[in-house]
Amino acid sequence: MTASPALPARPDAAAPILAVRDLKAHFRTNHFGVKRYVKAVDGISFDVRRGEIYGLAGESSSGKTTLIKTIAGAIKPPLEVVGGTVDFAFLPGYGGLHRAPPAEVARIRWRHLSYIMQGSMNVLNPVRRLRATFADFARSHIDASDRQFEQAVVDHLARVKLDASVLTAYPHELSGGMRQRATIALATICRPDFIIADEPTTALDVVVQKDVLGMIRGIQREIGSSVLFVTHDMGVHAHLTDRLGIMYAGRLVEEAATAEIFRRPLHPYTRHLISSLPRIGDDIQRKGLEGSPPSLADPPPGCRFHPRCPLAMAACSERVPDMVETEPDHRVACFAVNGDQAP
Amino acid sequence: MNGYLIYIVRRLGQFVLVVFIGINLAYVITHATPIDPVEQSISAATSFGNTAPDAIEQMRTSLRELYGLGGSPVEQYLVFWRRILRADFGPSMSAFPTPVSTLIGRALPWTAGLLMISTIITWVLGNLLGGLAGYYQKSRGLKLMGVIAMGLHPIPYYILALLLLIVFGFLWPVLPIAGGSAMNLPQTWTWDFISSVLMHAILPALSLILIGIGSWFLGMRSLVSNVVTEDYVVYAELGGVDRHRILTSYVMRNALVPQVTGLAISLGGIFNGAVITEKVFGYPGIGSLLVDAVYAGDYGLVLGVTTISIVGVSIGVLAIDLLYPLLDPRVKVR
Amino acid sequence: MLRILRDLLRYNPEFRIGIVLVGFVLILSVLASFSPYPPDQVYVVPPDVPPSPTYWFGTTSRGQDVFWQLTFAIRNTLLFGGTVALISRVLALVIGLVSGYKGGWIDRVLMSINDTFIVMPLLPILVLFYFVMRDSMSWLILALIMACLGWAYDARLIRSVAMSLKTREFTQSSVFSGMSTREILVQEHLPYVMPIVFSTTMNNMVWSIGLEVTLSVLGFTDINTPTIGGMIYWANQHTAMVAGIWWWIAFPTAIVVMTFIGLFLLAVSMNEYIDPRSRLSRMGGAS
Repeated sequence: MTASPALPARPDAAAPILAVRDLKAHFRTNHFGVKRYVKAVDGISFDVRRGEIYGLAGESSSGKTTLIKTIAGAIKPPLEVVGGTVDFAFLPGYGGLHRAPPAEVARIRWRHLSYIMQGSMNVLNPVRRLRATFADFARSHIDASDRQFEQAVVDHLARVKLDASVLTAYPHELSGGMRQRATIALATICRPDFIIADEPTTALDVVVQKDVLGMIRGIQREIGSSVLFVTHDMGVHAHLTDRLGIMYAGRLVEEAATAEIFRRPLHPYTRHLISSLPRIGDDIQRKGLEGSPPSLADPPPGCRFHPRCPLAMAACSERVPDMVETEPDHRVACFAVNGDQAP
Repeated sequence: MNGYLIYIVRRLGQFVLVVFIGINLAYVITHATPIDPVEQSISAATSFGNTAPDAIEQMRTSLRELYGLGGSPVEQYLVFWRRILRADFGPSMSAFPTPVSTLIGRALPWTAGLLMISTIITWVLGNLLGGLAGYYQKSRGLKLMGVIAMGLHPIPYYILALLLLIVFGFLWPVLPIAGGSAMNLPQTWTWDFISSVLMHAILPALSLILIGIGSWFLGMRSLVSNVVTEDYVVYAELGGVDRHRILTSYVMRNALVPQVTGLAISLGGIFNGAVITEKVFGYPGIGSLLVDAVYAGDYGLVLGVTTISIVGVSIGVLAIDLLYPLLDPRVKVR
Repeated sequence: MLRILRDLLRYNPEFRIGIVLVGFVLILSVLASFSPYPPDQVYVVPPDVPPSPTYWFGTTSRGQDVFWQLTFAIRNTLLFGGTVALISRVLALVIGLVSGYKGGWIDRVLMSINDTFIVMPLLPILVLFYFVMRDSMSWLILALIMACLGWAYDARLIRSVAMSLKTREFTQSSVFSGMSTREILVQEHLPYVMPIVFSTTMNNMVWSIGLEVTLSVLGFTDINTPTIGGMIYWANQHTAMVAGIWWWIAFPTAIVVMTFIGLFLLAVSMNEYIDPRSRLSRMGGAS
């Protein structure tokens, strides 16, 4: 077996809307003589199926932001894609946005692929009224008269419980919650096939958070998009996502249906993530994990989790465990779970 | 709207403060120094020729009276302010009996025109090129321009004006190097006169532009390279917003906001440059008037020009400050 | 500090060029001590000799050796710029730190005055000052008054740094440990502000030397102390350009341009070094 095998073909399931294969994206910097080479995404493969919300979990330095940047084609130096492919069903044949011709990318952006970004406070141009922002993003994708377009925007705003008057407002004139909702409306105005949501609820207070999650879920159901939902908050995943991938130090370590992962986590790191979730009526002292996530500039050899792993064996520090489908739809990369596959 | 009002009131307050402190500085310099400006100007005015002693005495009395140097310090201070508020600086000593205010009024349009045109060209061009350089960081032409800007920017006004004078005055004499218009033309609104004015303005304006453009270029370049990492720009790029639209309405538009404040701040420095440039090219504006007044020992004229400069620059700053909310809607809530 | 210098020298071309230019000018100014001619005497050499092996930069119409005169001029000019920078640094630091740290009405009052000095057209005021002082004007008095007028912009920069420092944890813990405002400012904040002080020093010298050159070219300073502007003033008085004595103007101009570009490049490279973003990308990777 190679380090990252192709996933087995699945004739029974419909073709995935997104297929990521052995993706590697690294940062290369050299500043005042300090060279850094950060393997932020190091050989990741997964599928997102049509109509599902796929969750991506991991700590803040696990490389999940880099992963979705790469998938989204937002690749700027010092970040570079070293290998692997990103295939969207609506952009076939190129192996990723970063390889497709700009005109093609411009065509699919927003129409097929949109984003809800982290820090919705700052994603709207502060010196532009919302009407202009909506036109900038969506006008070229919607074939309608100006008046019809305006009406479509107003109708869509109503879905997120916003009044048409926000269109004449500047972002700073809206409250935080309103801005968040406007951003969701902006991201879904073209009824995209695929939405990437990067920590959209972090930094929101709990009540607003619930509101926003419900809204994303509602719109997703209504327009039938697929969503790649990224957050470190396992509680949000439990609440929202259909399937869940767990990232650790630039690699995917486990993937299964969200309910399955919460019921039967296999990877020691996943177990740690889930056991550290607070539960009502539970007053056992939780035992923390020793150490901290490794620096991606200088990761440990073999399985990157082994220095902190309670189940670490000799093989863990020598070779990288493969993602193995231990049960249907449940993949995990761990020698302790799968046994040492070495010859 | 309320926030906007507060903003305007604050700006007006700042304007009053600048004028107040500036004029007090002028008062302190002329009254609190141990040197008597009247004696100074008399010795300067009489050093080149033999003036009759009683003429000097007469001059002294009239000067003392004119500039309110008699009486108690409080009285002197009040007289000083009264003159300034009335824009009455008495007759000029060097162009007697023309009033100082007339001389200033004659020179003012030249300076205002030259400054306004060259400042606008400098600001627009510098920010445009600097913005492009910050956005297209790989462009070789724009990189080269950055190097040139770095080389030009720190050169003092006088030196650059002098270099232009040497180049266009001696090596390649195609442009008029002195005066505001051709001597033989009447100052009426004929095409000949206007084109002559424009031709004469090229070199002084060019020196102001060349010196000023570097700092706008470098400033805008670094502002833009910061703005392109802002969430709203990244988001617009991810959203497939038209590249041209991103550059203009997202990147440049936001980067320009601090550059407007920058323009207000640097207006005083730009004026300093204009004084020198005018002197080098013999341009008939405020700067030449000031320098010649010092040479001629014309106390009233020096004081008048200084005061008018402070007030004029402050008005310019105020005007920019009042335009600022048009560019930055956030001012209303600050 | 030495490590910073080493890093800058090794990786920043702007800093290298700046160091070379400023170094050259500094060496020139040191040579003044070895001049065979006193700076204030005229007709010590034959006048109007073009550059030659005997007189490297030629001689002036006043019978002075341009090269040796230039060493005095650049020394005085640098001394002037340094004096203005030093005094105005003290003012900018005190006002910037106090304003940023104290906040409230003290901050508002100080910054109103500060902004006033930022927009004030200083040249007419300096000219008025010269007009009143005339022969009593010396370079030291001019340096003093320019320092008193030229601190404002840098005080604002220092204030913004102080304001961000104020919210940091170590400031709070110093407050709780009973340190006085003066102690906190001097012991805790000053070290953080020093890099920006250094880069503003360069910019301030560019500013003050520029104004001094301007004033002395017009003859509005003590024209008997040789400075770069003073040399150009005398050259203009003798219509050197028309008479073809180009070396009298060209060499001082070249030296002063070198000084400006050198100082400016030093300031630019220092700014890049202290920029928080570039500092971040330097950090952590040391392992």
